[in-house]
Amino acid sequence: MDTMIKVENLTKIYGEADSGVLAVDHINFEVKQGEIFGFLGPNGAGKTTTQRMLTTLLKPTSGRIWIDGKDLSKETYHAKKIIGLVPEVSNVYLELSGWDNLMFTASIYLVPKKERKSRAQDLLKMFGLWEKREILAENYSKGMRRRLSIAMGLIHEPDLLFLDEATTGLDAQSARDIQGLIRQLNQDGTTIFMTTHLIEEANQLCDRVAIINHGKIATIDTPENLKSTVERVQSIIVAMTPNGQKHGEGLGALPGVVNASKMGDKWRLYTEEPSALLPQIMEYAKARDLKIVSLNTLAPSLEDVYLEITGGALGSTEEPSNPNMQNQPKKRRM
Amino acid sequence: MIKQKLTRIKNEINQAWTVSIKDVRVYYLTPGMIMFGFLMPFFMFFSYSVGSNQGASEGLARLLAMTSFFTAGAAGPFIIPTERRIGTYDRLLAAPMSLLTLLLGKTVTGAIFAMAVSLLALGAGLLIFGASIDQPLMAVAGIIFSAFTFSSLGLIFGSIPTTKPGDVQMPSTLLRWGLLFISGVFVPLSQIAPSLRWISYLSPLTYAQDLMNHAVVGSGNISPWISGGILFISGILFLLPSIRMHHQARIKGV
Repeated sequence: MDTMIKVENLTKIYGEADSGVLAVDHINFEVKQGEIFGFLGPNGAGKTTTQRMLTTLLKPTSGRIWIDGKDLSKETYHAKKIIGLVPEVSNVYLELSGWDNLMFTASIYLVPKKERKSRAQDLLKMFGLWEKREILAENYSKGMRRRLSIAMGLIHEPDLLFLDEATTGLDAQSARDIQGLIRQLNQDGTTIFMTTHLIEEANQLCDRVAIINHGKIATIDTPENLKSTVERVQSIIVAMTPNGQKHGEGLGALPGVVNASKMGDKWRLYTEEPSALLPQIMEYAKARDLKIVSLNTLAPSLEDVYLEITGGALGSTEEPSNPNMQNQPKKRRM
Repeated sequence: MIKQKLTRIKNEINQAWTVSIKDVRVYYLTPGMIMFGFLMPFFMFFSYSVGSNQGASEGLARLLAMTSFFTAGAAGPFIIPTERRIGTYDRLLAAPMSLLTLLLGKTVTGAIFAMAVSLLALGAGLLIFGASIDQPLMAVAGIIFSAFTFSSLGLIFGSIPTTKPGDVQMPSTLLRWGLLFISGVFVPLSQIAPSLRWISYLSPLTYAQDLMNHAVVGSGNISPWISGGILFISGILFLLPSIRMHHQARIKGV
């Protein structure tokens, strides 16, 4: 498989080299042709900065980038022709109709005149905007603008598509539609580089993911391989009545519990030995005259890997029940 | 190879034109453009002309110079920061065209706006105030040259790496007002002390005003060829700082 993107020692410092802010720190990675490559990381990790450097919008402080085998610093024009860009903000012209937005983009991206109308028609139909094509984009909903923005990024049939937070802020149906489209584009041969903080989306879509934190790439692998690195830590989700929500501290103090986090009316208990923990939970409930409504064991998710790597405690999306346990997962060996 | 280069040039010209047409459709009727590009020159003109003893033709020459100066220079400082703010500028920068093409497209946007408003001013001067034009072709050439030069000047301010049009409007307006007072628009060049006149010669507006004086009234202080040449060269030179600032923006990440 050929390499579509190759990055070597890529670095970006905003401001002066000695006193500026280091946003991207000597990162290296490759994206193969035909891959869906996910770029994950918390806010400020360097995701968008990296993507802007790859799309020629930002000049790297140092390092090299090859797009489709060509040095980006020397052959920008070639890269610009094969790249499609869908930034986080739906950058459509609100004063133009959906149709005119596509016609304008087709023109500046050098789509042959004969093909512009048919491509625009196909895209508008694919994105469910055909009926609204003559309406000004300012009257579109957020989801419609997002779809139009993606359509504008696709009008020149790019070989490499950059998607920045493609589904963030969309309703479930729109997000699902766009995910389906990403899969379809990829099946048709488009290489996709997607920046996202939606871990489950990356898990479902990406062939490989890179996790970037503090400007450095912490790991690159397939989602399944990444999950296997934290396989030893599993979790049990337990729901109890009455007032099961109030027993976090007690459950978190059970032997073998690494961390406990509240999930609605349930508690998620992280442990290396679920089989040993299960009877203790039963005993805990019996001793306090609690009824167990549900009890499930879960394998580690990509989110667990992500939190592990980016320094968040497992289950740290909610306040930990036992403050003493807050940093425990960081001590574990991967 | 030559055919490829010719195709590329043809493509770039088409892209520049596409950018201009889009800007015309999207921005010409926005409040910022109407205020700074359309109303401002007329307000300025009437505030300085009411009560003065100038003839209709002298007034028309002044109005034409001021219109191209204010109107052409209004587009860049308004459009580029606005597009940076809403993210549409990234789409243009990422498109397969050179930065110069994009900047030329933006220059044409301001120039067309200035030419259209100048045409209105011309019509009003001729039909309502009874002015006459001594050399119509020179007037047309003067409007075109001035429009491109001042649009290119406005682009310098539009290229300041910011996402707020307000950050750009203030320095842009300050410079334009400053140039207005030293350029023989309100005080004819011949009445400025020779020892101070060199300051006037630093301003491109001086040459636009003198060219309009030649075209409309039939007399001026500088050869129209020199004025036209200086306007043309200034227009090209004004693109250089814009290019430099765009490169800086690419480093700063604005």
